[in-house]
Amino acid sequence: MGNSVYLRLRNRHYVRFNEQITLSNIAQIIAPESYETRIKNLVVYQVTEEDQHLIVIDLMRIINIIKKEFPELEVRGLGKPEIIVEILTSSMTKKPNIYAVVFVWILLFIGSGLAILNFHHDVSMVEVHRRIYYLITGVEKAKPLILQIPYSIGIGIGMILFFNHVFKKKINEEPSPLEVEMFLYQQNLDQYVVLNENKENRKRQ
Amino acid sequence: MIWQSILLVIVGLAGGFVVGSGFVAFITVLDIVPRLTQLIKGFKYISWFQRALIYGAVTFTWLDFRGIVLNLPSLFSLIFGAFAGMFVGMLAAALTEVLNVLPIFAKRLNMANAILFLLMAMVLGKVTGSLFHLLVYIDK
Repeated sequence: MGNSVYLRLRNRHYVRFNEQITLSNIAQIIAPESYETRIKNLVVYQVTEEDQHLIVIDLMRIINIIKKEFPELEVRGLGKPEIIVEILTSSMTKKPNIYAVVFVWILLFIGSGLAILNFHHDVSMVEVHRRIYYLITGVEKAKPLILQIPYSIGIGIGMILFFNHVFKKKINEEPSPLEVEMFLYQQNLDQYVVLNENKENRKRQ
Repeated sequence: MIWQSILLVIVGLAGGFVVGSGFVAFITVLDIVPRLTQLIKGFKYISWFQRALIYGAVTFTWLDFRGIVLNLPSLFSLIFGAFAGMFVGMLAAALTEVLNVLPIFAKRLNMANAILFLLMAMVLGKVTGSLFHLLVYIDK
């Protein structure tokens, strides 16, 4: 019983080119005291220039390395069977290009403006506004501005409410739908990478 | 005559039934009620909010179909407009087009820091687009 090593891979790890990945970088480890530092400093992977942006390290591979070094130990893996290591390139740590951000800003600004126009036409919003104004006040009016201006501003307030952001302040601490959506998107990407980039998975019969 | 009336009642009821459940399904898919309850931490009152949706739909259908004119001062349409706009804003924000575009921009174009900035582009775009449409674009 005294010879068991427990491994739990971390969620994600970031390295630079030509760095070594040691076991303690990518996993939580419980090991017998006499082995602990040696196991923690085991080199699992050497990042070279040939590596692409992402590396997937399989738990089986790690167990293999430990077994080779310390055949007397029994290794148990807990949790996820692989870890994604992301290589930080200089372009990733750089700040985004301000011109690109402004371009996207204008793109989204005009695009969402057009989308709301299309939506209003699609559902005959103008007709509905005239009808509502008539029903409330009993007066026919082609442009019920007192209804339409607050309506337009309300659209903005509603969107901000939904995203839980008043510019930079958060109303409460729970994640907003956008943050959840970003998380899910990242998770889907990771799942794809794990299945498609994992060298161990690629070996076919 | 009586059979015609019965048939009309059945057709009307069936149509309303389908439209009503479709409306509820639409609102449910967009998660607007859970989102609002989360914001105000009012999970106890979620059944009240459900009822508010139903009462609202029935009341305004009735007012519209019967052509009931309330003869209220125009200030009331200001209040109505503000609330209607907020609801449409939540609808627009909840639609997946908005929710799915931003993560991709953040990831692909390496703009995770600018995401709030881009979100404001969408919000301001909607407000400007709506004002433009209602004030300038339409002719009398």
